[in-house]
Amino acid sequence: MIENVIEISVDQLLIEVQNAMYDEYRFVTCTCVDTADGKLDIYYHFDKKLVLKNLKISVKKGDEVPSVSKIYFSALLVENEMKELFGLNVTNILIDYGGHMLLSDDELTSPMLKQQIVIVQKGEE
Amino acid sequence: MSKTVIPFGPQHPVLPEPIHLKLVMQDEKVLEAIPAIGYVHRGLEKLTETKEYTENVFIVERICGICSFMHAQAYCQGLESLMGVQIPDRAKYLRVIWGELHRIHSHLLWLGLLADSFGFESLFMQLWRNREKVMDIMEETAGSRIIISTNQVGGTRRDISKELLIKITIIVDEIKEDMRQVEKVFLKDYTVKHRLVGIGVLTSEKAYSLGAVGPMARASGIKMDLRMTGYAAYGELDFEPVVEKDGDCYARTSVRLKEVYQSVALIKQAIAKMPAGEISVPVKGNPTGEIISRVEQPRGEVLYYMKGNGTKKLDRLRIRTPTFANIPTLLQMLPGSQLADVPVLILTIDPCISCTER
Repeated sequence: MIENVIEISVDQLLIEVQNAMYDEYRFVTCTCVDTADGKLDIYYHFDKKLVLKNLKISVKKGDEVPSVSKIYFSALLVENEMKELFGLNVTNILIDYGGHMLLSDDELTSPMLKQQIVIVQKGEE
Repeated sequence: MSKTVIPFGPQHPVLPEPIHLKLVMQDEKVLEAIPAIGYVHRGLEKLTETKEYTENVFIVERICGICSFMHAQAYCQGLESLMGVQIPDRAKYLRVIWGELHRIHSHLLWLGLLADSFGFESLFMQLWRNREKVMDIMEETAGSRIIISTNQVGGTRRDISKELLIKITIIVDEIKEDMRQVEKVFLKDYTVKHRLVGIGVLTSEKAYSLGAVGPMARASGIKMDLRMTGYAAYGELDFEPVVEKDGDCYARTSVRLKEVYQSVALIKQAIAKMPAGEISVPVKGNPTGEIISRVEQPRGEVLYYMKGNGTKKLDRLRIRTPTFANIPTLLQMLPGSQLADVPVLILTIDPCISCTER
């Protein structure tokens, strides 16, 4: 089991991340998990003296999640990645690739989600 | 003065893998650097959801050739912890030996590439010739030079015989002696120092706030190395991270160079203390719950998040590789630098793009 998991609401996210910064935590990364019930779990992993602290938020698909890249610059890549691969609606990322950091135009939208529905009409290319 | 945008990569002589940087220049000075990746994204995290957890060992090894063993190690250690599996002590020591051999060949590869980037071809060849000795050990102990597939959930697949362990001790000593010769060139040669000293300085505070890991962080004075947590058999070996203060390209080179000696010492310690016995235990059942596993790769910390659902297939496997953490440092180091230093600066983060994109 993961130790040091603190479940918070989306509204608390920026405050808690700011607190982590004040407490001299290093930003490690984020992990996005599709729970297959229409929700996404997002973990924000921080490290201090080789001990992890994990903030966890749960959001419905399509809900807005504020970017933490203004607090931790290094979060911008993983936030862009979650936005592309999971369709997570991260707002105000410091450098927003607009869904094209890893994927090209003709890639499947949000390929990491559990359910991918691709409807192709008969006769359609 | 007007600004110019110079595309750097994705194909460039100093880049072993494709990354594209848009360099906004004023004369010869870099004002801004914007990275573009996505050339080698393979969707490996998604692929692991379709395979059984035992098969995933082979997938995670293929994330990166250079640190393939440590990918498998981080994965296996995480699942062993999640499933409550206690692996034999001998397997822990074997993991240290193969892991440190990977660190040596990764650092020698990087040092060679660095020499090549500033045009020192003979130095490059000396280092890669030395690296071949490690590759030969891999082949002899595992049957393969790069992706050795010796890890499995529950221990290791292969053992190393007593005779081979003695041979490894002799070969790593040879590597150490060869390194003594090139070390003088790297650390004392006027032209090499001219290209490295004071270039791309990353202060300790900046490195920490940007989330730098591995030799990038240690070269800036941050004493951070996951081997200090004592995973595998590291807790039973004498180990002190190599740390430098200056935070420039020279310090990053020095850290990696000294870590080659340190790996040689760790391998010799592990061989001397290696216990006899089994190398793996049978693993029953399927993983349930979540776990995070971290390992110190040659480029720094790798993080594995795993979520099992009681079936043979994992719900989620997330991997954060060290280069992913070090790219933001590059974006902060490049502005203000000279165009001629850009290749060296990019190389000093030891970029692995296959790792980054997975």
